[in-house]
Amino acid sequence: MKILDIAFNDLLRSFRSLFMIGMTIIAPLLLTGLIYFAFGGLAGGDVSMTAMKVGVVNADTLPADSPLDAPIGENIRAMFFDESVESWIEASDYPDEAAARAAVNAQEIGVAVIIPADLSASLLSDEVDAQVIIVSDPTLTIAPAVVQDMVRMMLDGVAGGGIAIQTLIERQQANGLQPDPAQIPIWVTRYTDWYREFQRDLFHNPEKAALVLTVPSAGESESADPIQSMMGLTMAGQMIFFAFFTGAYAMMSILREDEEGTLARLFTTPTERVKILAGKFLAVVLTVILQGLVLMTAGHFAFGIAWGQPVSAALALGGQVLAASGLGVLLISFVKTSKQGGPVLGGGLTALGMLGGLFTANIPNMPEAFLMLGNFTPQGWVLKGWKLSLAGSAPAELLLPFAVALALGVLMFAFGAMMFKRRYA
Amino acid sequence: MFFRRIETKIITKLLGTGLDTGYALLDQLYPRALYKREKEKMNAIEVKNLKKSFGKLQAVAGVDFSAQEGEILSLLGPNGAGKSTTISMLSGLLALDEGDAAIMEHSIRTAPEAAKASLGVVPQDIALYPDLSARENLVFWGKMYGLRGAVLKTRVDEVLDIIGLRDRQKDAVGKFSGGMKRRVNIGAALLHKPQVVIMDEPTVGIDPQSRRHILDNVKELNRQGMTVLYTTHYMEEAAELSDHIAIMDSGKVIAYGTHDELIKLVNGQTRIDLTLNVEGLNVLDAWKVVEGVNGIDSTDGSSTSLRPGSVAVLVSDSNLVLPRLFEAAGKLGARITSVDIQEPNLETVFLHLTGRALRD
Repeated sequence: MKILDIAFNDLLRSFRSLFMIGMTIIAPLLLTGLIYFAFGGLAGGDVSMTAMKVGVVNADTLPADSPLDAPIGENIRAMFFDESVESWIEASDYPDEAAARAAVNAQEIGVAVIIPADLSASLLSDEVDAQVIIVSDPTLTIAPAVVQDMVRMMLDGVAGGGIAIQTLIERQQANGLQPDPAQIPIWVTRYTDWYREFQRDLFHNPEKAALVLTVPSAGESESADPIQSMMGLTMAGQMIFFAFFTGAYAMMSILREDEEGTLARLFTTPTERVKILAGKFLAVVLTVILQGLVLMTAGHFAFGIAWGQPVSAALALGGQVLAASGLGVLLISFVKTSKQGGPVLGGGLTALGMLGGLFTANIPNMPEAFLMLGNFTPQGWVLKGWKLSLAGSAPAELLLPFAVALALGVLMFAFGAMMFKRRYA
Repeated sequence: MFFRRIETKIITKLLGTGLDTGYALLDQLYPRALYKREKEKMNAIEVKNLKKSFGKLQAVAGVDFSAQEGEILSLLGPNGAGKSTTISMLSGLLALDEGDAAIMEHSIRTAPEAAKASLGVVPQDIALYPDLSARENLVFWGKMYGLRGAVLKTRVDEVLDIIGLRDRQKDAVGKFSGGMKRRVNIGAALLHKPQVVIMDEPTVGIDPQSRRHILDNVKELNRQGMTVLYTTHYMEEAAELSDHIAIMDSGKVIAYGTHDELIKLVNGQTRIDLTLNVEGLNVLDAWKVVEGVNGIDSTDGSSTSLRPGSVAVLVSDSNLVLPRLFEAAGKLGARITSVDIQEPNLETVFLHLTGRALRD
């Protein structure tokens, strides 16, 4: 009973400490949240963004001897009406420049793109000079810049295409071949199609970019939702790192009690020292369990993370709790004062976390040597367990990482407990 | 004590009450004085040849003393005398090198848990959880002494009343003043109604009002029958509280007895505290050979060189010796700027026994 009393007293004190709450719960959620909003949330469409209203006036026409099938202005217009951008660009056609300017003035649209009648002629010939005019609401900053970039990139691409085709013609002539004029429109069309796809994939299709980041490791099945998979690994990495921090920090309560004099006072009560130490250890285990459950619940509801099958997730969490508690007891057993604890926690756990792959969990194709290093850290084995659980693996597949985490945790715990027992004998 | 136990058991049987009620009834039937004779037969604290060394330093060098049930015994001595080390061993914090001690007849070597259950320890430094409220602290420490449920709640309420902090019970201890923290520090040792309370310099560094409150608490606890082992380097506290006083120096008990018995050790000698206005003169050496001077100590711990500050001189007859001291100082060109003649007290005793003043 006294063991529980001591453990609950420690828990009470821990969860009244703003620092402890911050490092145990808020920091991992905050860091994961930042990554979520930087990549996952935005790309996953969970975060709504007000669409930019863009008006397009396309007066461009093909010159008489043009090798093109359609005026270049049509490509620019199509870019704003493409389905890949419809979630963030709301485009509409205007018959002429005056109507578009009036719409901007009336704040019906934020930006107007006015394509002149001789744009294609200008791009196909050096003799004609035409300019695409962008009119924007002066109160806006981002939307005009985005539209301007899109137009410039499209025009750069067209100019690049002209250069590419010109180079092709010159190379054929240099090789004694006469270019077939009938082929030129085909080349232009193919180039234009390719460039449009290139732009779309590069800038307007985040799912494709996200797929690159979530290439699954060997032996893992691909998650149905790549964003969710990425967030799951990110959150797991953060949760493991802070679980180990929590294990060590919670164990530091014994050093703080030693300094506050309450540990000595505990020793004057009719409570066996082994029970006092057991109470302290139990507090560490309970804190890490509680932290894991809170973070898993928050991660599920905030970021939509599916932690895997219940038993698999329980095994992964169990391994995490045992390894984090064991390492916490071991590390703090070498520390004499709570002041010494800071560098040990900051330096030691960060280094072990990095070696364990906690900060690179989402990076594909890591060197084999680096992945091997993870096998020498408890964090690495805990991460293996979570990777399997997140990938939906059956509990049997988690037995190895769980067993290793359990063995490491028990060994470290036993050694640390022996050190503490000797110190406070 | 034996008879009291028998009588209590009989009352308990007859009335079908609990032991506490039995004792309370007995207290009403027999005023304390009536069974004092049989109480004197039992030592609540028995210390025999206690020794403790830290490396080459022998902090406690064979200490013997005892305290009868229901008395206040003060351990008086300067800092470093071995008081705290002695009580650390008694309260189970430090292992003994040699010797043994018993609390309510439970050896701290062979039955430490039983000894601790009879003991309440008030550490010298505040040993509380600053982020918990006064009540939460008391509840926790009560649980550590095995109290639970309604008994614990009642005792916490009673102790909050004893220490006078009922209205501040929900405030975090970290926000309390030094004196209030000291009171909670004491309260945490009283929850289980210990038969013996050890208090290690509980009034160090606190305001006079809190000191008064604590001293009154100690007397009240003793009145209720608790045995108190009180360590201090304030002789006034030892004199006011104690039934017996053990004077410690250099890890040993150098004198033991009641206040009056100890005062008799100095044979009516008087202590004179003098202040000189000069330095560098060998006035102390001159005073040492003055007829009627039995001991001398300067505030810097040296008896051969003189610096500005107080000098304590132990004399047989102040009327005779004081003019001689003035004369000796005057011959060396020194001037006495203040004189304080003290009737024999524990300071005088300590000076008499060690040749040094008992000071903070």
